[in-house]
Amino acid sequence: MSRIVLALATLLGAASTGLSAPAPPPTPPPTAARAPAAIGCVDCHLALDDARVSPPARAFADDIHARSGFTCANCHGGDPRTEDMDLAHDPKKGFRGKPSPKDIPALCGKCHADAALMKQFNPSERVDQLAEYLTSGHGKALAHGDEAVATCISCHGAHGILPVKDSRSPVFPTRIAQTCNRCHGDPKLMAAHELPSDVYAKYSKSVHFAALNRKGDLSSPTCNSCHGNHGAAPPQVGSVANVCGTCHAVFAEQFKASPHQPAFADMGLPGCVTCHENHEIVQPSDAFLSTGKEGKCGACHEAGTEGARAAAAMYADILALKKETEAAKIALKREAEAGMLVAAAQFDLSRADEALTRARADVHLFQPYAVQQTVAGGLAIARTARARAARLQRERDFRRKGLLLSLALIGLSIAALIAKIRDLSRNRHS
Amino acid sequence: MDALEDGSTRRRWLTYLLGTSLGASAISFLYPVLKYLVPPATSEPSLSEIELDVKASDIPANSGRIVPFAGKPVVLFRTAAGELKALTATCTHLACTVQYRPDRSDIWCACHNGIYDANGTNVSGPPPRPLARLDVAVRGDKVVIRRV
Amino acid sequence: MSPCGGIRLSSGESDPRAPASALAWLKDRVGWDALAHLAAKKEVPIHRYTIFYYLGGMALFLFLVQVATGILLLLYYRPSASEAFESVQYIMAEVPFGWLIRSIHSWGANIFVGVVILHMVSVFFLKAYRAPRELTWITGAALLFLALGFGFSGYLLPWNTLAFFATKVGTDVPAQLPGFGPLISRILRGGSDVTGATLSRFYGIHVAILPALTTLLLGVHLVLVQQKGMSVPPSVLRQKPRAMKFVPEFLLRDMVGWLVAVALLAGLAAFQPWELGVKADPFAPAPAGIRPEWYFLSMFQLLKYLPSEIAGVPGELIGVLFFGALAAVLVFVPLLDRKASLGRPSPWWNRFAAVALAGALVLMFLALRLVPGATP
Repeated sequence: MSRIVLALATLLGAASTGLSAPAPPPTPPPTAARAPAAIGCVDCHLALDDARVSPPARAFADDIHARSGFTCANCHGGDPRTEDMDLAHDPKKGFRGKPSPKDIPALCGKCHADAALMKQFNPSERVDQLAEYLTSGHGKALAHGDEAVATCISCHGAHGILPVKDSRSPVFPTRIAQTCNRCHGDPKLMAAHELPSDVYAKYSKSVHFAALNRKGDLSSPTCNSCHGNHGAAPPQVGSVANVCGTCHAVFAEQFKASPHQPAFADMGLPGCVTCHENHEIVQPSDAFLSTGKEGKCGACHEAGTEGARAAAAMYADILALKKETEAAKIALKREAEAGMLVAAAQFDLSRADEALTRARADVHLFQPYAVQQTVAGGLAIARTARARAARLQRERDFRRKGLLLSLALIGLSIAALIAKIRDLSRNRHS
Repeated sequence: MDALEDGSTRRRWLTYLLGTSLGASAISFLYPVLKYLVPPATSEPSLSEIELDVKASDIPANSGRIVPFAGKPVVLFRTAAGELKALTATCTHLACTVQYRPDRSDIWCACHNGIYDANGTNVSGPPPRPLARLDVAVRGDKVVIRRV
Repeated sequence: MSPCGGIRLSSGESDPRAPASALAWLKDRVGWDALAHLAAKKEVPIHRYTIFYYLGGMALFLFLVQVATGILLLLYYRPSASEAFESVQYIMAEVPFGWLIRSIHSWGANIFVGVVILHMVSVFFLKAYRAPRELTWITGAALLFLALGFGFSGYLLPWNTLAFFATKVGTDVPAQLPGFGPLISRILRGGSDVTGATLSRFYGIHVAILPALTTLLLGVHLVLVQQKGMSVPPSVLRQKPRAMKFVPEFLLRDMVGWLVAVALLAGLAAFQPWELGVKADPFAPAPAGIRPEWYFLSMFQLLKYLPSEIAGVPGELIGVLFFGALAAVLVFVPLLDRKASLGRPSPWWNRFAAVALAGALVLMFLALRLVPGATP
């Protein structure tokens, strides 16, 4: 209570001194040589226990900027060393209150785009985020006056900012999609920008989401992997294949060498996503090549055309390899269950599985001949394995024949024994 | 021939038959046992250590090949500096078999462009874990691979 | 002295310079004639239960088969956790006829234990344990326990998953006993857990300790059998049965049985080779359906039915004590069954034995039905 009276008195006093003095320079950032100033802002804001001004003060305790010695004043201006609210909030000391969205990129960029400054704290930290942001869909819209777009604090938070590598951060790989979804999943907001609002729903069905969130594979892509971090914008139609190709290099190279690449470029179709979708990327199956429900080729290639025939040829080849490999596996398993040892044969057969993986990759050359070659190699391996299984079966039969011979001799011995026994007992009785 | 002589002939014949059949049976038991005693050509039953058919002199510097070890593929290679190394060749991403790349002196997985260095550490691409190292020794001229 | 040296000497005295034949020399040195005389005297009574007399000889024959195949196996087997499984795999796949020797040994072990049990059951019901053959029975009971010990220790040697976990369960049982129980368990395992140390220990038990004990006890058992002759059940004794000579009549019939056994073992090896399974991984969770070999199944199943506590005492302890009591009764039957010693029928003993056997069989079949065998 007395504090508020004091504050009011100070306010009256300050008002009387006039506000015409020039704005002093903003509080300089701390350096290692200078001890951080007392955090007067936080004490007061916490004590006020107000729903609007207290949460930021509470969150700031965890903030990485706080750990590096920054205070509220470094972004908001004002004087953190006084308990007098008027003095603390003095615009002459640079106080600007809550910045508006359009000011935020420049505010953060004041430090984060300054290479010399950032080197004092983290020499390998990038300093081009602001420049990238200005090229992004968000940045461009903001420049045109649309404030309902993402700025730095939309994704990184404003007061409890954690490093990206901290798994609690909203921009940690496993959480990025949800962060983007806060806006991109809002139908009204997206409708205003003519964007779909079901992207997260689709992405959550994809193999990339499963790998990232369920298998914990942090190298799996999420929104920023394909759309960019700060320069977030969808890849152009011609560059989609490049984007996918950063990880799926083999497939991208094959696609570029295939007849589909010029054809898609002519038609303005993006590579990769035309068949595999962009967000709802599910586990592909061989049935993509078929003419059934899952078939993708039929969307462009009508039945009877050369393209349809090519698809059918590749599909048939792959199915043949799958069938032959499966038959070899079953034959070897049968021999294993009969007690023969099949480890070496099974090792060699595993190369047929590799051939199948390679054949599925070769599909992206869209030349039936390439697939046929790879499949032929795999078929040879599978057939060899079946031959070995047959050899093992013959060995098994040989053992049984050898056994029959022994049994015959034993039977003969038993018969001779019984005859001798009979003879002896006849002798005894006679 | 009276009954007694018939009897003795029969008895002789029976004893002869008994002796022969028992003898033949005994040989049919002894044959496998004797063959069993002779050790087979492949002498190494242990799968924690395997002597390969590869000669150390057959692997030039900066080259590698895939060999089987305990039913799994292993990439055996000699660095440019001449050191023989062996790593498990099953990629930790989706289990394709990796290969040694002489032009870059690294280990490469063709399936999704995963790259490992000569120590097996995953340096680029999708692989989440490094390749396991195996101990390589040379006995005479034969290469012996052991689990670490 | 004849210049030719062909002096005829009385039997028992042969001229070392000119033996009639090498065989005759050998026979003389060994004392063959005395042994042959004893063997010729041995007779086997002929009556309706004569067929059970073959079981003892069959057990002995199967034991010798186990010894022979076991010796052959240990030429290639390596008793260390890292090599045991692979060495058995090697025997099955690479060694010529290794598959035959190993399968005969594994099948033979089970058939051997079965025949030993049948032998004991028949001796019991024919009251052959009555005076003066009490010690024969007691050594025989000890031999049964040694046979079970062979089975238990041998089971672990291939070091596959099933054997590993079955041994874990089995060596947990003595730990239930108060006082020395955990120590016994520790001694069996060579540590606090089943590890490579357990394998070494079980190997030593299987190829050295148990064979030494068996040789001793078997020797005593066989000597006693020869000394006392074949027992005849009281009901038949009154009828004064005929007898056949052991050599050659009974022996030839024995050989028929032995040849049938060999044929059976070879057939099983060729058509139902003993499985190898998967190498044991101590860190993997136990697969479902772990169970011991059939001769331990009744005890295994009974232990499962006991509640965890009976009047404050752990249920498993009660179970173990119960089996211990049964074993003691089994060993000392001839001393406990006074009536049989007097040549009188002892129907209550027969009923007790019948109930125990029936119970064991029921438990065994329950175990087989309710515990699906895991893949080894």
